[in-house]
Amino acid sequence: MSLLVRDLAFRYRDFELRIPDLALESAGLTAIVGPNGAGKTTFLKCLGGLLPVPRGAVRLDGRDLAALNEPERARLLAFVPQEHSASFNYTVLDFVLMGRTAYLPLFAPPSAEDVRIAEEALVFVGCAAFAARPHFQLSSGERRLILIARALAQRTGVLILDEPTTFLDPRHETEVMEIARKLAVEERKTVLMTLHNLDMAVRYADTMVFMKQGGLVAHGRPGEILTEELLARVYDIPMRLLEIEGRTFILR
Amino acid sequence: MPGRKKGLTIFLLILPFLVFLFSLYIGTTPISPSLLFKTLLSPLVSSWKASLPESVYDIVFAIRLPRLLLALAVGAALSVSGAALQALFKNPLVNEYILGISSGAAFGAALSFVVLGSRVPPQILAFVFAVLAVGLVLLIARRSDSPIVSILLTGVIVSAFFSALLSLVEYFASPYSLQALFFWLMGNLWKAGWTDLAISLPIIGAGVAVLVLMRWRFNVLSMSDEEARSLGVRIRREKLIVLATATLITAAATAVAGIIGWIGLIVPHLVRMIVGVDNRRVLPLSAALGATVLLIADDIARSLASFEVPVGIFTSIIGIPLFIILLRRAAKVWR
Repeated sequence: MSLLVRDLAFRYRDFELRIPDLALESAGLTAIVGPNGAGKTTFLKCLGGLLPVPRGAVRLDGRDLAALNEPERARLLAFVPQEHSASFNYTVLDFVLMGRTAYLPLFAPPSAEDVRIAEEALVFVGCAAFAARPHFQLSSGERRLILIARALAQRTGVLILDEPTTFLDPRHETEVMEIARKLAVEERKTVLMTLHNLDMAVRYADTMVFMKQGGLVAHGRPGEILTEELLARVYDIPMRLLEIEGRTFILR
Repeated sequence: MPGRKKGLTIFLLILPFLVFLFSLYIGTTPISPSLLFKTLLSPLVSSWKASLPESVYDIVFAIRLPRLLLALAVGAALSVSGAALQALFKNPLVNEYILGISSGAAFGAALSFVVLGSRVPPQILAFVFAVLAVGLVLLIARRSDSPIVSILLTGVIVSAFFSALLSLVEYFASPYSLQALFFWLMGNLWKAGWTDLAISLPIIGAGVAVLVLMRWRFNVLSMSDEEARSLGVRIRREKLIVLATATLITAAATAVAGIIGWIGLIVPHLVRMIVGVDNRRVLPLSAALGATVLLIADDIARSLASFEVPVGIFTSIIGIPLFIILLRRAAKVWR
């Protein structure tokens, strides 16, 4: 599913987000990087429909995001928040089932088919064994995977993840990125995420988007746009690019 | 475990009917089970009716039956409303009166008893002012950045305002009307009749049905508003449906029974301790257990002494220590 952004402007107090033109490809993983306060999360929330966007600014397969209601949007695009806090300790399966909300009328509880879809999502993220566990017992790495499973249960073409690897240990970080990659390649989803770990972005992303002060600095394939000059411009500190065994590493 | 849960669920669902039958038997006038059975079926079997003492027929049909049915309806309404609001506000300590229903209703009843000398029945004015109080809360808290905190805080403020108005009315009241008012405020079912049922049952029945049908939705509504919206909930609309429905059934229950505290807070907690936090179970079982608990409390209230103890006092005296025990034992259910 294609996601096109044109002349997106969002203003909140002193902060202004401005994305003149950006096209995200189907079956690809896009990583948005940039310093804190660059507007990455704001941009994601605009795309996820959590913040209001002007008409015509964001199009999903040609459909105007601003013209969709919540359930319509949630069937096309899923948003994985960075953290989750809840007051009630649902089991993992009940939690993932909430991903089916957009398909269920107000008075309908989930069907056996919905349960099957939720279980499938749990299998995909490798957490099938946790289905009956209360979700407060999960580690933060496991909780991140469950949040992804809930988004998968939405069965959308677009998946948006807000800093999915922050606070995770290297193993879980790799696990999340592998899952994101698999979703883009095997399930042909349009995957978009914000990242702080540049090495991960270079390694896994098809497209990198550099943001600073609410605007776009550069976007394109990592191999084509990534230079020491660009990194210095975006982060205001000198960085070096190193090639080791055919892979690119960023050294501060 | 799932088998045990299923068994408990079925038990809790039939419990109100069992307690209902048992409660028909309780009262100051002893009526034997066989006579009770005959009386209950007498409208169907005309030959039985003739053989019944008239007083027994009246006790069963004019006093006990409406009172027990009202206890069932009020208990279910308060508990379901409490369970729904706890999920909606993502806070297990919220109760059904949080939006100002009790103080609004109290002021309405006071107006009726003290100012209007009951020319307008207290039930009507209590209902009107309960709904008015919640409307006021929603109107004041309408536009704000964090709607939940501001709704809850506004609820506290509006409650305080109506309590102040209530004090004002009480200050000018005659001792006689004060007594009637105080008895109403304590919460009781002793004057329950078919008129009360006719007024409140349609509202409570329809409202409880709506909330119980929505049961699974409350899982999603208990997520943060932003999360619920991203999952596909039309949050403004669904919140309004829940708030309006919970308000109407609580107001209808309070109008006919006065202020019966703690049921709406404690019953959903008990249910979560027994079957877990999934609202697919919590909502219907809160209705069943709430009906049962109020029925039992009312049985005790009317048989404890030779005179009536207001059941509202009773639910509070039992409810508060029970809640302290629950808080210590059940923290793990929510955290």
